Amino acid sequence: MATETEFATHEWWESYKETVNSDPEMQVRGHDKFSENFYVEIGDERVLLEMDGGRIANLVPNPTLNHQWSFGVEGDREAWEEFVQETPPAFNHEIIASHYRSAVRNEDGHLMLTGNNKKIFQNLRAFQRTLDLMRVAHNNGGS
Amino acid sequence: MSETYQQGEIEPITGKYVHAEIEGVDHRIYFEEAGPEDGIPLLCQHTAGNNCQEWRHLLTDDDITEEFRVIAHDLPYHGKSVPPTTQEWWKEDYTMTGKRFAETLVSIADALELEDPIYMGSSMGGNITLELADWYPDRFQALIGLECGAHSPGFYIDWLDHPQVNTTEVNAYSCWGLMAPQSPEAARRETMYLYEQGATGVFKGDLYYYSVDHDYRDKLDQVNADECPLYAVNGEYDYLTTPEDGRQTADGIGEGAIAVEMAEIGHFPMSEHPELFNAYVREILDHITGEREEDLPDVLTPDHVGIELHPPAPAREKPAE
Repeated sequence: MATETEFATHEWWESYKETVNSDPEMQVRGHDKFSENFYVEIGDERVLLEMDGGRIANLVPNPTLNHQWSFGVEGDREAWEEFVQETPPAFNHEIIASHYRSAVRNEDGHLMLTGNNKKIFQNLRAFQRTLDLMRVAHNNGGS
Repeated sequence: MSETYQQGEIEPITGKYVHAEIEGVDHRIYFEEAGPEDGIPLLCQHTAGNNCQEWRHLLTDDDITEEFRVIAHDLPYHGKSVPPTTQEWWKEDYTMTGKRFAETLVSIADALELEDPIYMGSSMGGNITLELADWYPDRFQALIGLECGAHSPGFYIDWLDHPQVNTTEVNAYSCWGLMAPQSPEAARRETMYLYEQGATGVFKGDLYYYSVDHDYRDKLDQVNADECPLYAVNGEYDYLTTPEDGRQTADGIGEGAIAVEMAEIGHFPMSEHPELFNAYVREILDHITGEREEDLPDVLTPDHVGIELHPPAPAREKPAE
């Protein structure tokens, strides 16, 4: 079972990828069209998620100028560790919630969206579900 | 969801239409109600871009409807309250303002001939309690502002009415994080399902009122809560209008305003966790009617109201060990 100390290790990301790629909700409502790459930045560590039809095709640590992405999510490790708790605390329990407290209310300690807003909203539900599945993977909810 | 029904059972909710004149125009307003005709009227306002179905669990709560005549309406352009046939409404953007919103609510209360009603609304329906107490303090017995704040900026977003995004889905799932993860998944999913039913542009138009037009930060001394009691009741997981926002609003109003935090629930309390919300709101209603003599606590918790929370809601069922 994954624990908080194992969060964002190589094994954790591989387990997460399996969780996303086997999720039934990712396969319905047109989300087979979700092919926008995005990155997740946890403190100083960045991982690129290359998406293909609602599945994670590749996980790329430390992406370079040779890679491309449409948007990303950034936050310190503490905010991410709150985000992946089985019952996360208020305001770090979902990406739009966290981004709102950062971007509109100027509070520290929350996650922040970056990049192409249009592509974020064009793919919102699938992108949001992909992030929510971090919580599933982290708490052994995935198969 | 707390209710269980048998095959053939009919819920005690009736739906009707009433005609109300708003800004000089006749509107055909759909409403649902339950409870005794001579019960205390409890007029319930849905959230931005939604409809009266958000209140279906309050309308079927026997404990509430034994004493209260619960009435939930669809605002014009929402749910079954279709646009007025006398207007070329398709030639302009739908835009809600505080003036129009408050007048609509008073007009509906007048059309239904409600005597000393209690008003309760969430989100935009919570914020409007400030305008109602400011402009119409003698029309309501009390005002319950769920997720109420003096100012709630940042949600008048172009993407909520944009031809190149799936606004049906985006309007719903931009609100997903407004609910508490403790709330039952079936209820949270239903709340989003209701959001997917809104007409094009209506959610964004409502949010013009919510995030732009409504700003009482420098006008709280105009709110007449001493004449009409006002309850600012905000959920712990509401990131738009936090419990702290509710407390600041009540403090700014002063006499007659009471802030209560609802623990472990979010911005859509009546539909995201009906069992917990109905128990919470019973405490507020008892305070209004005088059945409850002691002060309300600063924070209502599931323990206060004897509700055992469901297990934490994982996004997906865990596999068997």
